[in-house]
Amino acid sequence: MPPQPGQGKTPAAASTATTPAPHNPIAKVIWDGSIPIQFTWDRAEAAAVGSNAVEAFFFEASRCSYFSLLTSHVRKHFVDMALHFIGDDAEVWYEYEGTPLKWHYPIGLLYDIHGLQASAGGGMNGSLLPWKVTVHFQNFPGDKLIKSQAVDSCQDYFMSMIKEADYLRNGSTKKVMNMSKSDQTQLWDGLWSNDYDRFWGMNHKLMLNDGVMARSLPIRIYLPENCPVIQDPISPVDENDRPKTLRQVLHSSLPDLFPLVETGTPVASAMIHGIIPSLDTSAIWASQNMSYPDNFLHLVIIIH
Amino acid sequence: MSSSGTPLSESPPPSVQEATTLTTAATVIANHKKKDTSKVIVRFRAIGNAPILKQNIYKITASNKFMAVIQFLRKELNYKHSDPLFLYVNSAFSPAPDEIVNNLFKCFNTDGKLIVNYCTSPAWG
Repeated sequence: MPPQPGQGKTPAAASTATTPAPHNPIAKVIWDGSIPIQFTWDRAEAAAVGSNAVEAFFFEASRCSYFSLLTSHVRKHFVDMALHFIGDDAEVWYEYEGTPLKWHYPIGLLYDIHGLQASAGGGMNGSLLPWKVTVHFQNFPGDKLIKSQAVDSCQDYFMSMIKEADYLRNGSTKKVMNMSKSDQTQLWDGLWSNDYDRFWGMNHKLMLNDGVMARSLPIRIYLPENCPVIQDPISPVDENDRPKTLRQVLHSSLPDLFPLVETGTPVASAMIHGIIPSLDTSAIWASQNMSYPDNFLHLVIIIH
Repeated sequence: MSSSGTPLSESPPPSVQEATTLTTAATVIANHKKKDTSKVIVRFRAIGNAPILKQNIYKITASNKFMAVIQFLRKELNYKHSDPLFLYVNSAFSPAPDEIVNNLFKCFNTDGKLIVNYCTSPAWG
């Protein structure tokens, strides 16, 4: 088992009783999804300090986690090898084939966009693994990545996404705001310490929305080539009150790529957590079961 | 364009169909990359002791990132980079600076205006 970011540091509230997560095998396998990553120190940076042969750092990262949460492990490895680093962990950044990786996106989403989508799904047989990510300790690209004040910013961005999702579902953030501070913290702590029960014990209340039908589904769609992210207000049901399928949802945002009735070879498909689900899947089911911990269903478009 | 003589009613051979597929996808991607110059209305509302703007309704390019809204407001308020300023949509959540203004407008506008609250200390958790 790989070391987990939270290991050895138990969140303060862990001793209080946690509501166990309801049985949900789908949510559990998604939670357990991981990507082996090979972290290599940027060649130019290493060469500048005369360290040309520093070993890479290998880590099996949770798809649902964030690079910010791995930085302390990555930094420690390279400091132990050769690196002299006195900066803040917020200055550390990651890059794949020349593209800086957004620290406020989940790792699995970044892999699906920059790895699988860029290779048009061609890496699905695992040929891109381990995912070869370059680490930089200098020259933070402030024009391409958000510059955070501290690694803690990741938690703020995460909670903002959860509130935005709540707003889409309910037209307010009351569901999140009515949670106690420790219940809110439990979401982040659960993610941070890779504790499925801690996270889903709380998250299912948001996801199931107390049985109230959501107004809109928190969905983001990612086209290739760094296109702007698409986020439309999407009702979970059609005009006859029947749950929409993923195809209907995709059709309303991208009608040319996703016709309601497929007549020939499909032009595109949508990937979630590295897999391509059937487009007949109910969108609300996908939202409730296949969203990332930030409560958004992130759909990565693969062009065939 | 002159017709090459292929009857239109016949289904195209596989290679042509493949080319059409590529064109469809490439066109969709190119259209999404195109900078949309349409504008949306943003209404700023000061919270707490944040300074009030003389004018609080502005038109902002829809394809901009929320970062542009943050920078615009800072400029209007004459704020230095180090002065703390927190922005929220609908007094509810703080969008990431790379979110697209048009997405926020489509999903969260109130009567055709995107309401952005701002304050000098964090509000709403």
